[in-house]
Amino acid sequence: MNASRLLGYGLGGGLIAAGFAGLVVDAGLTDPLGWALWFGGLIAAHDGVLVPLVLLTGVAVGRLRRPFPVRAGLTVAAVLSLVALPMVAGIGRRADNPSLLPLDYGRNLLVVLGLIALVTALTVIAGRLRRRRG
Amino acid sequence: MRSVPGRFTSGLHSEGVAARLGLWLGISFTVAFVTGLFSHFMQHPPTWLTWPSRPVNLYRVTQGLHVIGGLATIPLLFAKLWTVYPKLWQWPPFRSVSHAVERALVLILVGGALFQTITGLLNISYAYLWPFSFPAAHYWTAYLLYGALVIHVVNEWAKIRRQLWTKEQVEPPNEVAARRRFLGTVAAASGLTVLFTVGETVRPLSGLALLAPRDPRIGPQGLPVNKSAAAAGVTAVIHDPGYRLTVTGAVRTPLSLAYDDLLRLPQHTVRLPISCVEGWSAEAEWSGVRLRDLAEMAGVAPDAVLTVESLEKGGSYRTSEVRPPHWNDPLTLLALRIDGAPLAPDHGFPVRLIAPNRPGVLQTKWVSKVVVA
Repeated sequence: MNASRLLGYGLGGGLIAAGFAGLVVDAGLTDPLGWALWFGGLIAAHDGVLVPLVLLTGVAVGRLRRPFPVRAGLTVAAVLSLVALPMVAGIGRRADNPSLLPLDYGRNLLVVLGLIALVTALTVIAGRLRRRRG
Repeated sequence: MRSVPGRFTSGLHSEGVAARLGLWLGISFTVAFVTGLFSHFMQHPPTWLTWPSRPVNLYRVTQGLHVIGGLATIPLLFAKLWTVYPKLWQWPPFRSVSHAVERALVLILVGGALFQTITGLLNISYAYLWPFSFPAAHYWTAYLLYGALVIHVVNEWAKIRRQLWTKEQVEPPNEVAARRRFLGTVAAASGLTVLFTVGETVRPLSGLALLAPRDPRIGPQGLPVNKSAAAAGVTAVIHDPGYRLTVTGAVRTPLSLAYDDLLRLPQHTVRLPISCVEGWSAEAEWSGVRLRDLAEMAGVAPDAVLTVESLEKGGSYRTSEVRPPHWNDPLTLLALRIDGAPLAPDHGFPVRLIAPNRPGVLQTKWVSKVVVA
């Protein structure tokens, strides 16, 4: 094993040890059990729910003759929906502070999704026209 | 019978795609780690560490990068995990002890990356759905994640080199085209995420910030608020006619000044941002008394450390320390006005601290005491 490899393992291992030590020493703030539930829960939700759903959607879209524009549109739409979801849900709204989450996120997300759908549709149509002519 | 990984037929579950996404993720997690540590040590500086008060926008830019860059990382991360997903089902799951250790470290890497980005997203949306303190959990998990990332890069370096720099064989053009389309889609998802959020800190783009948790134009006096006067429990006490700002401690002449006394002192106007660790920022024109003028009136040593105290009864940010570079800076004010009008209660009436290159939570509001040490 060469020196840079060893250095990398040392550095990485040290950082991991520091992280675990901090989570334990700071237990009053980090709530290790709650932390572990979130840490493991997100992995389980991603690997066990999100990716299978993406794979199923991918199989369905793959049956289209030209799947690319639809696949790209759905991917971008899904990511932006996920980013917007906590704001759309409005969990963090507070009556005493209207400057938190001040926008109509449901409407804004619809605008964004509408734009994505429009671009996707135009791409599909443009592709068909090009093939018909060519 | 086909193995589970063998059932993934897309050519995009490939080393070439993984190497490229991995490189982008390595860069974005490095930026996040560095800017995150910067914020942590700015908010909790050890005694030997004195931050400069300039450049004015350093904190603002680093935290904008941290949060908007973190949001842009979400599509990269999902794409990378999708690309390597077949490996999750490899059989046998562990070929040797070292392979088991490697997979355990990948578990930390994946868990850490999901934890940081998803709880980060929820945190900037004020959805505190967890029992832990977000700053503490986010801080320590960053070490876990970055440590696991360093080890992962060491393990995969040969593949990255082969895929990105030294590969000589010619790839089939349809494979290259498919990869470009996929990576282009991921880049578009990242780019649009940035486009629709970055306006919460880049003012000219605020009209495009459709999916940002803040609008830098919205709030009392056109400025967002983090903690309201009601939440701080100061709505009554800030209007007490007996209000005095005191400067005490290691001073030659202790001061006790009424609101009107402060208005009679030389007033200065500065344009400074409130820069939140949550990534948003908003500039305003603040007027008030220079902190260094008050320190001079009280006879404070130039290397003293000042602590400003709020009328709040409790809370983690009731007081904040102002070290010499910041309180000696002529831009640092005890502000009385925003754009010429007295501070709104939510912005810290009667008096708040405003200083350059400083986290928003340390721009203490409802200030009534300056203690010199």
